[in-house]
Amino acid sequence: MIIATLRSLRWADYFLFTIIDPRALYRQIKSNDPRAMALSFTVPVIVAVTELLSSSLLGRPTTFFFYKISYGWILHSMVLVFLIIITAALMDLVIQFMGMKGNVRELIIVINYAVFPKVFLLPLVYIFKVINFAPGFFYVLFSLGLFIWSAFITIQALSEMHAADFGKALLIFLFPIILMGIFIFFGSVLFFFSGMGLISSML
Amino acid sequence: MDRNRKILISILALLVLSSVIAIVDISLRIQKTQDTQFALAAPKFGPGIGLVRIEGPIEMSSGTSALGLKSGAEAIIQRLDDLEKNSSIKAVVIRINSPGGTVAASQEIYQKIWRLRKKNIPLVVSMADVAASGGYYVASACNHIMANYGTITGSIGVIAYSPNLKHLFEKLGIQMNVIKSGRFKDILSTHRDLAPEERVMIQEMIDSSYRKFLKDIALGRNINISDIEPIADGRVMNGETALKYKLIDGIGDFEDAVNKARELAGLSEDAPVYDDVTHPFQQLLMNMEGMFRGQTILKEGMDYNNLYKFEYRYLP
Repeated sequence: MIIATLRSLRWADYFLFTIIDPRALYRQIKSNDPRAMALSFTVPVIVAVTELLSSSLLGRPTTFFFYKISYGWILHSMVLVFLIIITAALMDLVIQFMGMKGNVRELIIVINYAVFPKVFLLPLVYIFKVINFAPGFFYVLFSLGLFIWSAFITIQALSEMHAADFGKALLIFLFPIILMGIFIFFGSVLFFFSGMGLISSML
Repeated sequence: MDRNRKILISILALLVLSSVIAIVDISLRIQKTQDTQFALAAPKFGPGIGLVRIEGPIEMSSGTSALGLKSGAEAIIQRLDDLEKNSSIKAVVIRINSPGGTVAASQEIYQKIWRLRKKNIPLVVSMADVAASGGYYVASACNHIMANYGTITGSIGVIAYSPNLKHLFEKLGIQMNVIKSGRFKDILSTHRDLAPEERVMIQEMIDSSYRKFLKDIALGRNINISDIEPIADGRVMNGETALKYKLIDGIGDFEDAVNKARELAGLSEDAPVYDDVTHPFQQLLMNMEGMFRGQTILKEGMDYNNLYKFEYRYLP
């Protein structure tokens, strides 16, 4: 069954629709043919590996890279998946607040596929690294560009999912980002100052 | 549709290919960098040299710091002990970058090194920026001492200090209530002048520690006390002057010290050096530790602190 699905290449439609038609992606997820959930989790894993490779390409070459590429990517993938689940949960919260029907499972799948464009960061950055033309700048630029692309995919899929207009879908998308941004900012500030205080008092 | 799917599969294959190329590329760059570095941390086997680091003020307090690094004289002695028990260690290089420290801690390290020396384990010292007072005292127990031209060493002597804040207390209207069991119980108190008999008592202790210092240096360096006495007045000197006064055996850097240890132990030129700080992450922690410690030393210097100690220490 799995081999037959793999050979039929129907699974590739998820990736194809992610790139060319996010609304069709949601319809495909809804139909769940072939099964979307398990395959969707391969995307954050691939993204984690390509992100590690992209940052390692630009950084100073140290043997720490071997740790990252042997098992560091597992941790990175787990963090990505965790963030996706949190994001999906928060989006679902807003959706239900707006009086729409929540479906966190489908949201997780949508966001998983939506991060797929980030895999293009590696080849794009690599080109500028090889020609040695401001790779750091282009890393930031492409990261931003690919994030916007991912955001666009999510918003389109959300719009299709709830038959909502672009503005509503944008609001649903922005809410968890803003909330997590605020939380991470204040959390980091608190962690930094309390950590410094603790270390100073112990030394 | 099928054509589109095949295009996508090709894109995915290209992504995999670019990942593989990136991994190979990064690995090759790492290899290239490693080849050009003087790496002590690479995995090594067989008979070699153990490296011990004495960094910062020497104090007895042993334990694990906030960042998980062991410090203090006890940690140094533990490291020496580990090296002594390790059959692969044929010589020891002690890298000293210390202005000295407390008398007892310096003496304990000296004694431990001396025991190793009696067991015919060649010990070579490599002095870094500073190896003065207690730092030099510890070094003198070794077979061979090497310093850089600019290393600050010497400062042979003992010091004890305590601020006299009596007038400040009077100005602020602060009075201390002291209930003591004996007349000398609050010796070196900051709120009163030092009595003449107390001064004599402290001076006797200082002199006794000083004599021990001279005796041990003479023993370690295999010279007469009278040869060191003229320069054992607390003066500091650079490596060149120290060589002139025979406080050290030669001018050289860390690599020279390692080579000397290999020579004394009859090891080959490529005999490995076993460092206790090997992992880059550990080095990072050590650097962070140094950073925080620097701040703490500054803080302590500014704070009022009456934990007086007798020290073999260079205090500029």
